[in-house]
Amino acid sequence: MALKLTIQGLLIYATIAAYLLAFIITLLRRHKLGTAPYFLGFLIACSAVGFRWYDVRHIPLQNLFEVFLVLGALVFPISIFCNRVLRIGGIAADMLIGVIVLFPAGFIFNAEPQQLPPALQSWLFGPHVFVYMLSYVIMAKAAVLAGLQLSGGSAKDNLLSPEEATYRMVCAGFPLLTLGLILGSVWGQIAWGDWWGWDPKELWSLASWLVYVGYLHFRYMFGKKHPRLNSAWVITGLIVIIITLLWVNLSRLFPGLHSYAM
Amino acid sequence: MRIVTLSFTIVRTMEQAEKIGTGSTEDPIYRGSGVPVPVFSKRLISWANLVMTLFLTAFSIYGAFIGADKAQAFFNSIPLSVYWLIFTALFIAAISVLPRLLQIRGLFLVHVGCVLILAGAMLGSRAGMKIGDKLFKTDTLRSGQMAIYEKQTAKAVLTEDAVQKELPFDVKLVDFRLEYYDPGQITIQTRQGESFKIPAKPGLKYLLNANLGSVEVVKTFKRLRMISANGKMTAIEDPNGGSNPAVELLLISPEGKITTKYVFERFSGHPAPNENLIFSYRRTISDFISDLEVVKDGKVLAKKSIEVNKPLHFGGYIFYQQSYDNIGGRFSVLRVTTDRGIGIVYLGYILLCAGVFWHLWFRHIFGDRLIED
Repeated sequence: MALKLTIQGLLIYATIAAYLLAFIITLLRRHKLGTAPYFLGFLIACSAVGFRWYDVRHIPLQNLFEVFLVLGALVFPISIFCNRVLRIGGIAADMLIGVIVLFPAGFIFNAEPQQLPPALQSWLFGPHVFVYMLSYVIMAKAAVLAGLQLSGGSAKDNLLSPEEATYRMVCAGFPLLTLGLILGSVWGQIAWGDWWGWDPKELWSLASWLVYVGYLHFRYMFGKKHPRLNSAWVITGLIVIIITLLWVNLSRLFPGLHSYAM
Repeated sequence: MRIVTLSFTIVRTMEQAEKIGTGSTEDPIYRGSGVPVPVFSKRLISWANLVMTLFLTAFSIYGAFIGADKAQAFFNSIPLSVYWLIFTALFIAAISVLPRLLQIRGLFLVHVGCVLILAGAMLGSRAGMKIGDKLFKTDTLRSGQMAIYEKQTAKAVLTEDAVQKELPFDVKLVDFRLEYYDPGQITIQTRQGESFKIPAKPGLKYLLNANLGSVEVVKTFKRLRMISANGKMTAIEDPNGGSNPAVELLLISPEGKITTKYVFERFSGHPAPNENLIFSYRRTISDFISDLEVVKDGKVLAKKSIEVNKPLHFGGYIFYQQSYDNIGGRFSVLRVTTDRGIGIVYLGYILLCAGVFWHLWFRHIFGDRLIED
């Protein structure tokens, strides 16, 4: 764990500070006031992503540092989308998610710029990773709502019950998860002549997709009869996503085609 | 007018009926006017699909732990082949028996998409290709590798079963080249563990620190050769020499003493015991490119510069840039496939994707059908 005393690092810390401030203000039930630092944090996060993009001269989605940086910037628009379009609240939890994902970018992951290896020089690189990142943030929010349901609480600004809100979030994220998996497969076919390579990352991605497939089937079969099981299923999905995103890349247990994404 | 009113009433009644679903045998998933199958069987199929999905999740996690090669063998083993067949059959049974999968277009597309992906995968698998070859008395090349030296032609492909097969034409490697990001990087480490990274840009002066002095990058070489002229060794770029990337540096000590240093990419060398600095030079590969020609009876039928993400398609075969001679850069390794079943898999992808977006986004989220389904 080390401080990044660079422009890049300072932008990340400023975003974390803004998100934290927004979180505290929102907890104090000053929702409207909390939106201002939240939006400011988003703007700084966008600057951090833009700065990185300029610095490395390619879309900053190559390694874990860049991916978590982008995740930190995605939280705000997804939060607003959920609030305005899906009628799902929990904005304070979103701010906290923003802080959590930016923390490893600010303090843990190596920020040294890397050049793109030949395999990543494809038009599918950006869409494949970006779609996955969108779905991951949405599924993280779904898991928070599922946790809320399990703990018997409810977001004050939710128009739907936590169980219904969780389901709606999974409905929003699952198509993106599917698209990410398919784009990766098509890319594998173009790059290596294999649309499925049995690589550990691919298999963990498939496992996370299948957990949500199982959830959707279970909910279609039983509806809201077993809300706790439904919620447990969604939380399991996020755990598998975290393994896919972090453990597979960081652990030596899973060498494979995606090992460069560290 | 009465017909319109009646239709409206029927639609309203159906919509209200859909909202009743509670998870019993009256659940929406089991209702409808599809094939007349007992509700018990419909539930059984739903459960079986769910259990098979859970099994596949467990298999995937297991496969991730054993590595890609063993996972491939595991997922292509006979027990798993049986699993794939049963899973596909269950999908087809579900589509035929569960009325809502037929009535709701999004769900129908998703499940048909999955059937096509599984069918395409089985068709393109090793076992699938072997069965196809036996049925149609063909000898199809599924996948293999060919290594070709520069200026040479080859038609032999070593298949994944370690059998040599011949292409119906020759493939000539006109040229193979590695391209690098510019500039390369010089790393200087002290014996105390301090490290400096400097871009290998000619003309760049870099102050290490007050004790170590500074470094100036003089010149970079692709094929460095040392020659003796007037009793003095001089470095030149030899256009006819072998690959020998290096960088020429000037080391300027705090006292102003200047020393010339050559740092080689391939041979980092060993610093003398009294030398405090350890140098290395590294360039990052940006691309590796094979200029290919497809030749038959002396005629060039096709030519393309292939690289990763840019394969050559010819005569039902696809040539991918897979690897290369990383020592001398004299030969290129190509992966050759016929990609049987890929069209079916892609069609399955399109249907699956269209289905999930249609059903979950446009029906559930934007169509506000959340609670009913």
